Amino acid sequence: MMRRREHSLAWEFRHLIPMVAIALAALTLWQAMVSLRVWPPYLFAGPTEAVRALVELWNRALLPRAIVATLQRLAVGFLISLVLGALLAFIMVRFTTFGKALQPYILGLQTFPSIAWVPLALIWFGFSETTLLFVTIIGSVFGVSISFADALRTVPPVYLQAARNMGSDGMDLILRVTVPAALPHLISAAKVGWAFAWRSLIGAEIIFASVGIGFLLNIRATVPDIGGVMGVMLVILVIGIVVDQLAFSKIQEWASRRRGLLAHR
Amino acid sequence: MTGAALKLVMLGKQFEAKVERLNALRDVNLEIREGEFVTIVGPSGCGKSTLLMLVAGLQVPTAGWVEMDGQPVHGPGADRVVVFQDGALFPWLDVQGNVEFGLRVAGVRRAKRAQRVREFIKMVQLEKFAHARVHELSGGMKQRVALARALVLRPRVLLMDEPFAALDVHTREEMQSVVQDLWLRSGTTTLFVTHDVRESAVLGDRIVVMTHRPGTVSAILENHAPRPRTLNDPEVLDAIQRSNDILKAEVEWSNSQAKLAP
Repeated sequence: MMRRREHSLAWEFRHLIPMVAIALAALTLWQAMVSLRVWPPYLFAGPTEAVRALVELWNRALLPRAIVATLQRLAVGFLISLVLGALLAFIMVRFTTFGKALQPYILGLQTFPSIAWVPLALIWFGFSETTLLFVTIIGSVFGVSISFADALRTVPPVYLQAARNMGSDGMDLILRVTVPAALPHLISAAKVGWAFAWRSLIGAEIIFASVGIGFLLNIRATVPDIGGVMGVMLVILVIGIVVDQLAFSKIQEWASRRRGLLAHR
Repeated sequence: MTGAALKLVMLGKQFEAKVERLNALRDVNLEIREGEFVTIVGPSGCGKSTLLMLVAGLQVPTAGWVEMDGQPVHGPGADRVVVFQDGALFPWLDVQGNVEFGLRVAGVRRAKRAQRVREFIKMVQLEKFAHARVHELSGGMKQRVALARALVLRPRVLLMDEPFAALDVHTREEMQSVVQDLWLRSGTTTLFVTHDVRESAVLGDRIVVMTHRPGTVSAILENHAPRPRTLNDPEVLDAIQRSNDILKAEVEWSNSQAKLAP
């Protein structure tokens, strides 16, 4: 039986070295464009200027409040979207004919730009948290349900046969076999959903909000504060990378290794 | 004569293919006695796996029916457990989790479950691998787990669907003796499907020889070789010879029919 060897911390993070190198190269390029004065400073801020602006926003408590507010909305919206998406996916897979007929419409709704829901949401819910949540959910739920349904369809029929043969059926079969069998794909599906939710929320916050990262970005542009704008954009990028690398990729790797889909290191 | 444990009555199965109806199985009658080891042998496409799926209740017959202890079978049940060709083990569970699966579904209590799982893992000699994941096991070990997973449920009938077809020759022979040994100890009524004539002769008390489309029984051979058997026992060799003769005659007959057809 194989056992994973214990590695030093440096070994565990060795894949980060080229990642950090690329980040440094990008920063250097960015700084070089500023130093060469390709564009005037009021149109294009350098990394130092962006970071200075971020520190100032942080000290004025604007940045932390914005991050907390946005991530809270995202967590709630994304969770609701996962639950609704899972239900929709389950219905699509369980009732094959109906699901196939429904699929093109859900695909259509998935490609529908989430920002285009904002005016309707404003009429329904006014300038409220509900509007932001609504746009986050509606912008991601269709993508989630399509990917969840695809994930559930990857389950090899022989697993279901074997389980039914041993007396499992209905909800028991779904929870004991379908979901664990599809788990690696379900995690990828959730990742797709998170990207949809994140984009929808930031978009909606730019259009209207009283606190949040998108709102902060918009306000910095009206000041105008080019360092702040580019700094906040950097924050949006970094949050995206961190969530992807720390949360989803780790969970995915764990789920895959457990069943031998990844080579042992 | 004691009543049959398992009875197939005028059993038939048609599949709706694109152009025509495909007769996978036609008019199969078979009685299997309590504790008997019956092998079903035939070329691929003769409907032997379909027959097993009908007995398991994983497919529905289009004609006839299956009876267990005099009661017609409806749908799958843990009294008729299948060992699939590739084992169909669950890769998200370890060996213990796989063997435990059916007992959990049946709601067996934790302490009793643990004890039975231990007992059956020991029976297939995998104690050291109780916590191994499926991908860490060899082909033969996987089929041992599949056997334990099925037998732990103490089924009335054990159904085996070409379980060793994907194994190399040595492992296959080893697994044949494992199955024979387990059967001698547990006495579980077994229906074993294979395309390997030698395998069917080593294992079966009776050998059901099936032939091509529409799948039907062409002969049932008695095989009284003493157990435990090996491939070299004279009576086993004799059974192999007889099965081969029947299969060869069937091939010749169907070839001549093909020539006659316009």
